[in-house]
Amino acid sequence: MPGAGLLLLGVAVKRRDADVRAAASRRLLATSERELQRIVLDMHDGPVQDIFAALSQLQVLERALAPDPPSQVRARQAMGLLERALGEIRNFIGAFRPPGFERRPLGAIIEGLAVQHETLTNQAVELTVPADLGDCTLAAKIAIYRILQEALANGHRHSGAPGQRVMVARRDVTITLTVSDDGKGFDPERVLAREADVGVEGGHFGLRGIQDRVAMLGGTFALESAPGHGTSLTVALPAE
Amino acid sequence: MIRVLLADDHAIVLEGLRALLDGEPGIRVVAATTDGAEVARLVEQHKPDVVVLDLELAGIKGTQVLTALRGRPAPPKVLVLTAYNDGEALRSALDAGADGLALKTESPQQTLTAIRQVHAGQLVFPQAARRWIEGRGTGAPGDLTPREREVWALMAAGLTNPEIAERLGLSDNTVKFHVQHLFSKLGVKNRTEAALRYAHGR
Repeated sequence: MPGAGLLLLGVAVKRRDADVRAAASRRLLATSERELQRIVLDMHDGPVQDIFAALSQLQVLERALAPDPPSQVRARQAMGLLERALGEIRNFIGAFRPPGFERRPLGAIIEGLAVQHETLTNQAVELTVPADLGDCTLAAKIAIYRILQEALANGHRHSGAPGQRVMVARRDVTITLTVSDDGKGFDPERVLAREADVGVEGGHFGLRGIQDRVAMLGGTFALESAPGHGTSLTVALPAE
Repeated sequence: MIRVLLADDHAIVLEGLRALLDGEPGIRVVAATTDGAEVARLVEQHKPDVVVLDLELAGIKGTQVLTALRGRPAPPKVLVLTAYNDGEALRSALDAGADGLALKTESPQQTLTAIRQVHAGQLVFPQAARRWIEGRGTGAPGDLTPREREVWALMAAGLTNPEIAERLGLSDNTVKFHVQHLFSKLGVKNRTEAALRYAHGR
């Protein structure tokens, strides 16, 4: 039956197309992280050093202006403005600087993110990471990191809960990440529909972005929430 | 007088910090360099109390400089000055044995305060970093961990931090962290108060 052979060939070509697309997606993820790294470095080497140095000098000036109160007030106002600018850069760098994806294993990167979240928000993170979690591909590591970052940020902004739970587990070649809280909860369908309509603001890629990242790597996504009943987000991704 | 050595890649930062610190009572900048490879020699020459160290130095890795300083007989306190306050930066500074972390994305006044704190023997890290020192899942505030009770008992017996570290087979930094949390959980300000609390039936 010649038709069956053609059909099989068609399937093989499709499979190959899918593999090529998946590999391209993974490369794209790594590339966008490298671009972020470059932008963060530029901010670090330029504005951060300049503003910090300027603030040091201004503080000296502010002290010297003690005999001239109106001028001292002006100096303080200038310092306040520069500190605000530094604060914005701090938030930007904190959100976008990639961790040592190549240097550190998955577990260490997740721990680092939990510590960072607690430091920035004062919201507790209860972390469960098995000691034998092992490592995973760069693409999976990037995806898990960015998804966790987004989930923690969402949980902090919307849940009203004093803490969140993060659980990471591995079975064979699948890594599962669960982020949950006992906060306000929401109607997942409405939120997902709204994000599809208006996109996501403020540099956050939202639940839609989490789904996109999961889809790129051929993983699964599950969201359980209801008003008043907390939220639980689970993603499973291939580690290899 | 707190004698400070500044090591930072950026000359403008050195200039600014130096001006600020020199105007501060009780603090004197004894040397400043942009060259990481120079730090060890300058420490030898000037014997500073506190080294303010940027981890992104030219020539040599800041963490290498830190490790080398740690190996000296009477190491200076080291305050890492960095623009990054993420897990990565905290981890690197802790692993290399720093006494504290100050941010270039905060007011330089914070750096000034941190210099005084590390000089006074405090560890200056965000509370969240404790999980790397104590292990995960610490108890609720007010409850001492078994380890903290051990540290408390030895402290009450008059042992210094290095002695406690040796006795329990822990690093100095780990003991400092336990002491820091012990103080905050007990609501005491110093070792004497902690020892008194211990003596008075806990």
